Amino acid sequence: MEVKRNTTSRNNGIEENTMAILDSSGIKDSKDLLDDRLAFLEAVRASSLVSESGSAPSSKMFEAIFHILKDSTSLELTMTSYQLLIELDKRFPRVYISHSNTSESSGSRELVVLEEAWSPFALGPVIATYRETDRNYRNSNHPLDSLGFCHLTENIAREVNEVNFQVPAMKLIGEMMLFQYLLNVLQTDFVSRNTIYKETKDWACLRDSSLNVLLVSLSSRRMYKGLMKDCMSILSRGGHHFAGVTSNDLENEKMSSGKTVRSCGIVFTFYFGLKEGTCVAIQQFFSQIMELDVIKKQADLQGQTSRADGLRTPLLEIILDELTYDEELFSSFLQVIVEIVMGYFCIIFLIVFSNPNWKLEVILQFFSKYLKKPSIRTRRSSESTEDATLTDVLRSFSSETSTKAIIKKISADVAQLLLAHAFQVISCCFFSPLAKLTLHRPYSEAFSPRAFSGQHNNQLAYLKLQHHIDHVADSSENVRGSSVLQTCKDIIAAFDNLRKADK
Amino acid sequence: MIDINTPFDFEFDEPLPSSLPTPKRRKVIELDDLLTDYYKEKSKSIEKESKKAKFRKISKPDDDDDDTHQDKKEAMLSHFVDECHKKARMRAEDEIKEWGLRVFGNQKALPVLDFPQLGSCVFLQSVMKNKMNSVLELSAEKGQIFLEELLINGWLSELVITCAHVEECITTWTFNLMLYSRNEELRTSASNFWCTVLSHNDEHGLCSIRIDGFPSYSELKRALEVYGYQLYSSDNFSSLPEMSDAGPSSPIMFGWVRDTKLTDEIDSDSEGPPQNIRCWVKFVAVCSQVRSTLPIISNNSEAEELLGAIISFFLDRQLQGLSLLFYECMLSVISSFTDNEWSSSCERVAKSLAISTQKDLNSLRLAECISGVDARSKQLRREVGFQILKKFFNMKNALKRKWKASIVFNEEYWLFSNPLLEEKPYIREMWGVYLRNYSCQIASTDMRPCASKVRNKASFLLQSTVNRKDGE
Repeated sequence: MEVKRNTTSRNNGIEENTMAILDSSGIKDSKDLLDDRLAFLEAVRASSLVSESGSAPSSKMFEAIFHILKDSTSLELTMTSYQLLIELDKRFPRVYISHSNTSESSGSRELVVLEEAWSPFALGPVIATYRETDRNYRNSNHPLDSLGFCHLTENIAREVNEVNFQVPAMKLIGEMMLFQYLLNVLQTDFVSRNTIYKETKDWACLRDSSLNVLLVSLSSRRMYKGLMKDCMSILSRGGHHFAGVTSNDLENEKMSSGKTVRSCGIVFTFYFGLKEGTCVAIQQFFSQIMELDVIKKQADLQGQTSRADGLRTPLLEIILDELTYDEELFSSFLQVIVEIVMGYFCIIFLIVFSNPNWKLEVILQFFSKYLKKPSIRTRRSSESTEDATLTDVLRSFSSETSTKAIIKKISADVAQLLLAHAFQVISCCFFSPLAKLTLHRPYSEAFSPRAFSGQHNNQLAYLKLQHHIDHVADSSENVRGSSVLQTCKDIIAAFDNLRKADK
Repeated sequence: MIDINTPFDFEFDEPLPSSLPTPKRRKVIELDDLLTDYYKEKSKSIEKESKKAKFRKISKPDDDDDDTHQDKKEAMLSHFVDECHKKARMRAEDEIKEWGLRVFGNQKALPVLDFPQLGSCVFLQSVMKNKMNSVLELSAEKGQIFLEELLINGWLSELVITCAHVEECITTWTFNLMLYSRNEELRTSASNFWCTVLSHNDEHGLCSIRIDGFPSYSELKRALEVYGYQLYSSDNFSSLPEMSDAGPSSPIMFGWVRDTKLTDEIDSDSEGPPQNIRCWVKFVAVCSQVRSTLPIISNNSEAEELLGAIISFFLDRQLQGLSLLFYECMLSVISSFTDNEWSSSCERVAKSLAISTQKDLNSLRLAECISGVDARSKQLRREVGFQILKKFFNMKNALKRKWKASIVFNEEYWLFSNPLLEEKPYIREMWGVYLRNYSCQIASTDMRPCASKVRNKASFLLQSTVNRKDGE
């Protein structure tokens, strides 16, 4: 790993002059302030991005742009500063992979880390302590520490819940943009480090990633779980839309309560897109945390980690806990509600969480909790139990009696839904080679987040199955044909049994 | 008030502005600062004058009549001065009108989205004839609802990929949902469906998914007309009504309305930007990306028209929230041209945009919003700036100054984004001289807010030119 130091000092003049545009002495009007800020952003763009030989803005300038984004006084400023920061990060990455052809092994790549480059995160312990009392991350000019990041997420989670049928406030819009930017920073940093990790298997690569440092800092402050729950809450709210949906009980309920569910104006269209973007960003955030969890476990086994790496509950467990917790809470006294509430929670979550690999993982783990004896539910004590496969899961649905036993614990709707989603995942992987695309395209496009009724889900899976069976039967040269056919038949049988058992 | 005991100095020395201790500033000292200091001093001396006058008044109590007369005069004078100030300020404010147009007017009636023929489409029929239908219990009447569910949950695109075929009625149905549905979820799902299908085809060659009844460009254009896009109904932007004069912090400025009652009105009202514009833009972006394999946008003039339209969306403040989407779409369309086509297309787009502009800040916004940093975007921006400049070359307008300033900014852009000029240092020299002259040209007495802004910008540019020279 190469560590470079920033040695550009000849840009002092540019910095001074650009910053002078922001000088607010003698300005009385908020209009002037806005103009000045826009002019400043434009000037940074011109000097750093437009000219071919432009150099990265100084930390001071970065801070000023970041402050404008945090401040979120106007939509124009928020959008412009967000776009500028994203583009600057692309042009002047803090971490990148250099292709060094000088060494004998041609094409060897190494990680370049610009340690002194500005970052929106200040995750060092020193800065973290002196700002302990400062709960308001918006007013300060400083980068965000883990606490500030938590508060931001908390705010969004709360406000997304509050904004129901009203026009979202500018504050929420600004916070969402800021949040997306921060997740983007974490992501780009993680992706290039992970690429190198895959080649070198050196844990140090990822240990220093902003994501890991942030998570370590969070769990040492016992805020990690709270953050994850906030993220999950935002995700689940992302599934609720203003749009009235045909044949949907939940929406009908709202209709009858007198609220307008119809979408209102261009603002909602924008807000809808913004929420969607936030959800996609969180999904990627989650995927990366899960990947990091797995890698860390490997590093643990190889003895690469130290005490400083800390302990952290894997995200997957937190998610499953949350799901179980919700169900148990309700099933203990309100059996009727469980289908609705648990069902919706689960549905929303799964559809939103549309990274195929992790989705299947969550589904299988969820099932495995119910397929085994209830006593094994204390998962932490028996961590090494092997994971259930889809075949195991399907076997437990193979007869009517065993199915009945399961749907006493999980409602039939939820079971159907989970099976359908599991099927959707494996159909992507196994069936037509054309369908591979679904694994790679942006997840937002793969599934539109929404709650739908279990009955229809049943139908959808059937239809899909039928088509796949036709498809597989047609292509006799398909090597996997027989096993795939078997899986399809098993799933059909499972649905049949579920239907019978549910009656 | 006045301490009578202190002796009055009638021979006040006018302190020289230059002798003042200048406070330490972050800012580079500019003419402006010197001027304000100068005026501050002047006002101080005026105060002193008035003190003198009052002293005179006290010392000559017998000259009463004369004094009241003088007071009246003074009052009149000050009143007059105030009026002048007010007028000047008003004029200054008049000059700087914000950019912002209503790009979309009244929407026309949206097409009916009921598709009875959907029930009879081959796809549904085959499902209904299947023995599995005993479970599905599907009928032709329930067909549309069923398909909607498929669409929203992302199954439809997977089915289509598996079957490698999109039927005509499904094409029309999803396409119309995307462009005209009032249901946010349906339209977004439909747009996602098309994005998936089109990019799938792009990756797997032309024949991977057969699409019957494929929409053409005219459908896209028609949608804009239905949305009330003004450029098609009127000749140019100049006939577009300007945005209401709300301040930048006012919520209406970016289509922000807190009042739920208001939002209801918006909902029922056909005025204002169409909600489907997000899907429209997304679709156009994908179409541009797959243009080489799937010619929805078949010829250059269509692509040029689309590019012009997208750039014009930037002029509507109500659409600001979607600016990132527009930006991405603009880049997609720009990169969809072949290298041969580009330079002529670029010129045509710029010309058509320039023709439709008026002498106001919107024309500057047009050039400024093309903010891409790739070679083609820069070229387009230069071209748009150049065409607009050409159009208003002999402009005599109150706006001239601010306008000119931004042109200067644009020129800077042009100068430093043009690789051809790299090895010609004298051009930079000249540019520096020009800038210096330019900032001196603005009368130092010009206290209008825009003047100081212009001077700021000019000095910033000057500094960066010097810096660039030093850097080499």
